[in-house]
Amino acid sequence: MSETKATLLKAPFELSYKYKRSSGPIMSQVFEGLAKKKILGSKSKANKVYAPAAEYDPHTREALTELIEVGPGGIIESWSWVHQPSNHHLIQTPFAFALIKLDGADTAMLHMISDCEKSDLAIGNRVKAVWSETPTESIADIQHFILDI
Amino acid sequence: MIQAGVIGVGQTNYDSKRRDVSMAGLVREAIDHALLAADVEWDAIDAVVLGKAPDMFEGVVMPELYLADAIGAVGKPVLRVHTAGSVGGSTAVIAASHVCSGQFKTVLTVTFEKQSESNATWALSPRYPYSPHINAGAGGYFAPFIREYIRRYDAPEHIGWKVAAKDRQNALKNPLAHLQIPGIDEKMVSETPMLWEPLRYLESCPSSDGACAMVITSEEMVGSRKVAWIKGMALRSEGTLSAGRDEVNPQAGIDCAKDIYQQAGIHNPRKEIDCAEIYVPFSWYEPMWLENLGFCELGEGWKLTDEGVTRLDGSLPVNMSGGVLSSNPIGASGMIRFGEAALQVMGLAEDHQVEDANIAMGHAYGGAAQFFAMWIVSSSKN
Repeated sequence: MSETKATLLKAPFELSYKYKRSSGPIMSQVFEGLAKKKILGSKSKANKVYAPAAEYDPHTREALTELIEVGPGGIIESWSWVHQPSNHHLIQTPFAFALIKLDGADTAMLHMISDCEKSDLAIGNRVKAVWSETPTESIADIQHFILDI
Repeated sequence: MIQAGVIGVGQTNYDSKRRDVSMAGLVREAIDHALLAADVEWDAIDAVVLGKAPDMFEGVVMPELYLADAIGAVGKPVLRVHTAGSVGGSTAVIAASHVCSGQFKTVLTVTFEKQSESNATWALSPRYPYSPHINAGAGGYFAPFIREYIRRYDAPEHIGWKVAAKDRQNALKNPLAHLQIPGIDEKMVSETPMLWEPLRYLESCPSSDGACAMVITSEEMVGSRKVAWIKGMALRSEGTLSAGRDEVNPQAGIDCAKDIYQQAGIHNPRKEIDCAEIYVPFSWYEPMWLENLGFCELGEGWKLTDEGVTRLDGSLPVNMSGGVLSSNPIGASGMIRFGEAALQVMGLAEDHQVEDANIAMGHAYGGAAQFFAMWIVSSSKN
């Protein structure tokens, strides 16, 4: 055995690739809708409405092809307060991540609630969408939700 | 052991860009075809086994999460398989093993790749620290092994052109195949640019989008359905850069083939196997694998190709569907080989059907020719 201590090397390694996403015929309508300030949910044959929209029903496994407008208001199903946003967060003042069940939908979607105090939040409280001024055909076209009391 | 058989094979059409569907839509398309072919409903499916090549190919990490709804996995066990390019084959073996274990009666298995969402060649060549960034690409990696094969056995250069032309001629009989090149012949191949010397452009596989699915079930569930009985299946692996490894004729491939022949009771594969779908992404891999799989002695593979033995009308047709050289949705490419072998013994291969095909082989390899997956399917149970 050598007595020499090995130098432990380390090197930076950055990995990045460019991708091109094909969203398909259903989700393309949903993202186009968002750019036009419309939230579309998927309606199943049993009249269950999924929002965010889905391509396939998780339970019946049917292809979901009917889209209906939901929201832009809804209720808080659950939430988590972010006291000190980090650089990675999209909102730089204290805000909440929340599960929001939009009006007309049977399922909740994860989004953010801003411009409020922690003490304003409660399960069952009403919120409404605030739209981005620069639509990008993505879920970020809903900038966040605010309380609607 | 419980006997397992394929009762349904479903494929998408293969194309360079399937922008008309999402990834979920692509896999579901293959699944819908497989369920229809198998004549089973979702309720009959006891488990789902999904396979695809590296997640970096589409940039969706753990696609089995996003795809759970599309593959009907909700409320059922799901397993994701990954063994590089051989994954389509190993996924089929894992799915069939689920049935043979007795734990599951009927299993749905699906594999896919949507290469149009990225660039697979460069997703395999990141700039790792302490390593040269040679950017060889898959063809650049395999080309030196091909040269060594040519040197060992003094094979003439037209062999590669011959395989490339033959597989694309077969693809013209398969409407699902990606490359459809009317009038393709050896001369056309030989006149295409040198890509990865000694491989020319048309001696290389395309980059495809597509998915392939199968329904595999146990003897008791088969009923009156057409079935491809799985008579032998095996997986073998070896290291990428292990000292003493023979990349031209990998031991793992030899061992894997011996294993399935023993399981299937095959003593003379050249005589007893009616046709084979072998993973040939670069032309020369046909003769190389013919030898590795024991269809002939070492150095004799290129002669079988040259004599036309592997043509659709030859005595050992290889890659009747057009093979990987005609359609290459990487994660699915192995399963297409396994599924096409099943279609042959079920008599459902339509225009590229081999007459009286009763015993067929499906083969896949992946990584640096280090992962092998194979099966033998038969039209008869015993």
